[in-house]
Amino acid sequence: MKPPAFNRFVRLLAELAVLLALYKLGGVLAAWLAWPIPGGVIGLALLLLLFAGGVLKPAMLQLGAGVLMAEMLLFFIPALMSLLDYGSLLRDEGWRILLVIAVSTLLVMVVTALTVEWICRWRLRHDA
Amino acid sequence: MTLEPMPLFWLALTLLAYLGSRWLYRRSGRYLFSPLILVPAVLLAIAVPLHTAYAEYARNTHWLMSVLGPVTVAFAVPIWQQRALLARHWPALSLGMLVGSAASIGSSWGLAHVLALDSAVSLSLVPRSITTPFAMPLARDLGGVPELTAVFVMFTGVLGAMFGGVLLKYLPLRTPLARGALFGVGAHGAGVSRAHEVGGEEGSVAGLVMVLTGLLNLFAAPLLTMLL
Repeated sequence: MKPPAFNRFVRLLAELAVLLALYKLGGVLAAWLAWPIPGGVIGLALLLLLFAGGVLKPAMLQLGAGVLMAEMLLFFIPALMSLLDYGSLLRDEGWRILLVIAVSTLLVMVVTALTVEWICRWRLRHDA
Repeated sequence: MTLEPMPLFWLALTLLAYLGSRWLYRRSGRYLFSPLILVPAVLLAIAVPLHTAYAEYARNTHWLMSVLGPVTVAFAVPIWQQRALLARHWPALSLGMLVGSAASIGSSWGLAHVLALDSAVSLSLVPRSITTPFAMPLARDLGGVPELTAVFVMFTGVLGAMFGGVLLKYLPLRTPLARGALFGVGAHGAGVSRAHEVGGEEGSVAGLVMVLTGLLNLFAAPLLTMLL
């Protein structure tokens, strides 16, 4: 008898393989159709179609998709290390860049939340 | 300095730092220990004194970034699972995403110009509000530097997760939809984790909105290339 941890691992690998295959297929389709859309996005659309057609159920991919999304940070850490080549940029423009990001982030959060809140309240008043 | 005798040095160190930081963060719950902050800090603290160039660091670690492609595919799962939420609230959510994205792109680009930032930096700032798997290809489309964009996305997440908690105290938000959208549009993945701490519905909304905002921005790329 196989231990449950082993079965879980095999299951994880199988689910990751499905997601990888859809990603590759998306890339092939994008190249073939000459669409300027990343292969991953076409893979996402394909997976939505498979869910809609009842071919796959989200529960079948929950483990693999969950691991990929939960550990996403690990996959973009190498890009963060590009900072190694941008030491002078950071010294020259670092504070200004940080200011742009801080002000813009605050603005985005305020306008997004107020827009959604306003529409929700408007609908509540008019639906009731 | 090169570490030729240990070709997998940086890969091993990255994985170790990641696992260690994740463990520490889960145990302590202190935001400073979150992998988003601690891992780059530890790696830079080792790489900078060694005068490691990015190319050398990336030689054995760049393949990790290629996993971001399948992550994009995995985003179909939250979209499908939250489709009822989307069907019910699409007017509010889509308008919120549109207004938020316009505010993000407009203010990042505008402020970068007012502060006279380098043009490659300004372009790399444009996708900073969306999640990395979408932000990096968008930066490439716009003529920015995808790696720099990843750095700006990280700072957006760190700052946004902090600001969001404070904003919730001062903004008159009664609906979980608005509270979730605030985090999902404003602070992508870091915001989604924070939204889950606020509430279950806030977390679901933030996760859904994060993915859809990324798609929306990516599809706006041809328009942005024309405007910027």
